[in-house]
Amino acid sequence: MRASAPVLIGLVPAALVLGAQATGKGLAPLAVPLMTGLNFAGGSEFAAVGLWTSPPHLLLIVGVTLLVNSRHLVMGATLAPWLRHLPRRQVLPALFLMVDESWAMALADAKTSHAGKFEPAFSLRYFLGVSAGVYVSWVGFTALGALLGPVLGDIERWGFDMAFPAVFLVLMRGMWKGFGAAVPWLVSLVVAAGVHLMIPGGWYVPAGAAAGIAVAWITALP
Amino acid sequence: MIDGWTLATIVLMGSVTYLTRIGGYLLLGGRELSTRTMTVLEAAPGCVLIAVIAPAFVSGRVSDLIALAVTAVAAARLSLLPTVLIGIGSAGLLRHLLG
Repeated sequence: MRASAPVLIGLVPAALVLGAQATGKGLAPLAVPLMTGLNFAGGSEFAAVGLWTSPPHLLLIVGVTLLVNSRHLVMGATLAPWLRHLPRRQVLPALFLMVDESWAMALADAKTSHAGKFEPAFSLRYFLGVSAGVYVSWVGFTALGALLGPVLGDIERWGFDMAFPAVFLVLMRGMWKGFGAAVPWLVSLVVAAGVHLMIPGGWYVPAGAAAGIAVAWITALP
Repeated sequence: MIDGWTLATIVLMGSVTYLTRIGGYLLLGGRELSTRTMTVLEAAPGCVLIAVIAPAFVSGRVSDLIALAVTAVAAARLSLLPTVLIGIGSAGLLRHLLG
């Protein structure tokens, strides 16, 4: 758990911004830790809050959550060879806590301590330690942000809404794999912007994302 | 209080997210993923994130476009907190100056 300290400090401002924005969008303060505690995947929570209405568009928000978190599929697949020595009844609950940070750190830890073999190198205790630290502070600080949100409410006028694009752009910087790999993102942006101007509602998100994913599929040579 | 529809949305969000967490381990763990599948799975989250913020790019306000450009440059170089502060600060200031 000590190893996760730098990560925890980095996530506090994001958690506060998310919580504050969520109550600004009309989520009950109690719904915020419920969401971050059950879902526990920051990128999708920012996307959900960005699209939140009262009442929320269930299919849109769940669909967007699924798409943002599709990267977990890759993460889980890369982790699988390291988990073969562990029974599923331990792995399946532990995976609930898999986030970018705990995944990356546990994998790095396993690779440094492995002696030519996958199996015993992966430390479930290390993974759970990092994950638990991230979980407690994420849920705690998003809840705190939700309580502080109404106090900060009128800052919105002063450009507070730009916090969202800022968070998203930082998240995307973390996913950056070069200009070539970013072409689908550009397509998604252009299509989403166009659809937003023409069709009311939140449908610009699936439209843009679908266009971007299609381009990624076409341009990635088989 | 939390209404039923909000609760359902949140519970379903949590459920699909958990499925993505165990899905890779259960379904894909035993086999090699094609490079093409990997590329698509890696591109998808960014496609969704940029689509969510797309309206900010076409708000029709010059101040917002400049603020977005400033924020993008900050995001490429700085960590989260300074980027957010620069984003908020530049948007607030430019709207004040340019209207």
